[in-house]
Amino acid sequence: MIGEPAEPAATPPGSGAGEQAPASADPPPPRERFGPLVAERHSKDDGRALILYSRVERETP
Amino acid sequence: MSELRFNELRGEQVDYAIHRQDRTFLPARDHCPLDPTHPGGPQTEIPFPAFEIAVFDNRFPAFEAPQGAAEVVVYTEDHEGSFATLSPDRAESLMWVWRHRYMELGAREDVDYVFIFENRGVEVGVTLHHPHGQIYGYPFVPPVPALELAADERLGGCAPCALLADELRDGRRILYENDAVVVYMPFAARWAYEAHVVVRRHRRSLLECEPEELRALSVALQTLVRGYDALFERPFPYVMAVHQAPTVADSGGHLHIEFYPPLRTPEKLKYLAGSEQGAGTFISDTVPEESAVALREAIARAA
Repeated sequence: MIGEPAEPAATPPGSGAGEQAPASADPPPPRERFGPLVAERHSKDDGRALILYSRVERETP
Repeated sequence: MSELRFNELRGEQVDYAIHRQDRTFLPARDHCPLDPTHPGGPQTEIPFPAFEIAVFDNRFPAFEAPQGAAEVVVYTEDHEGSFATLSPDRAESLMWVWRHRYMELGAREDVDYVFIFENRGVEVGVTLHHPHGQIYGYPFVPPVPALELAADERLGGCAPCALLADELRDGRRILYENDAVVVYMPFAARWAYEAHVVVRRHRRSLLECEPEELRALSVALQTLVRGYDALFERPFPYVMAVHQAPTVADSGGHLHIEFYPPLRTPEKLKYLAGSEQGAGTFISDTVPEESAVALREAIARAA
């Protein structure tokens, strides 16, 4: 087994991915910082995991 | 749930995942399951109207807990395009996503080998055109990485390190290089335009790479696949295989990425036929030194 600590995201990714999720009374999804990315964890309707990765800094086109 | 059976004659596992027989197959453009879900549109695998990179458990898994994992990695919300057309930042982000998945899946007790790959083109059996790759977490070390570890023992050290040094000394098959990564066509390539993308320093996995190396890796990969597309001036099918150390304790390995393109001319495919399947020996119609010249020129044209 291998591992490397991930950090909780201190700032929202500002990407639009999680921000545009359908309105819900559920708590916001967990986010963690990993390198230049923020990983936002969701669970799909059928229970499968979904992770949305967003870059913390804006992408250069 | 899939079932593993051990093929004694070949000494290898066979994975029976019969639920995959019904998986989505080349859907109509407006029913792509890897698109974002737009208001009023069909529900896709990603229930959000926008995203950058998405990873989710495969709906039709070849492996699943407690015997491994199967994930889908969607490179972009843009249905058109390919890995080659991603922005440099997005391509670099993808390296970090791969690294994250290697770390998380590799930490699982039921995963011994994390295999990141992409099948591009119907010629290699792709069933969805949206730019994406996959990750399998095998509950065992599969035969190809096991062969690479055996090569380490045979050569008395890291085989990719030794082979990279040989290729740099020879030089005829080098396709591209930057500070951290070298792309070459191997001396004994099996496919007409096979290429290996190798990190210069001995890194067992993406986890051991410096951020600069991840950036250099993404640049090298995009340089290669853009060259592939320029070679015959058509989208170039390939299998891309990311080889890293097994995630069982103290495993050897050297991060490198192998490309197996099935085209040998603009219209002709290399088939795995009698000798390849029945005897395990590739018969090639081309020599790597000549193919490398053509691919190097294509890379220059695409730059």
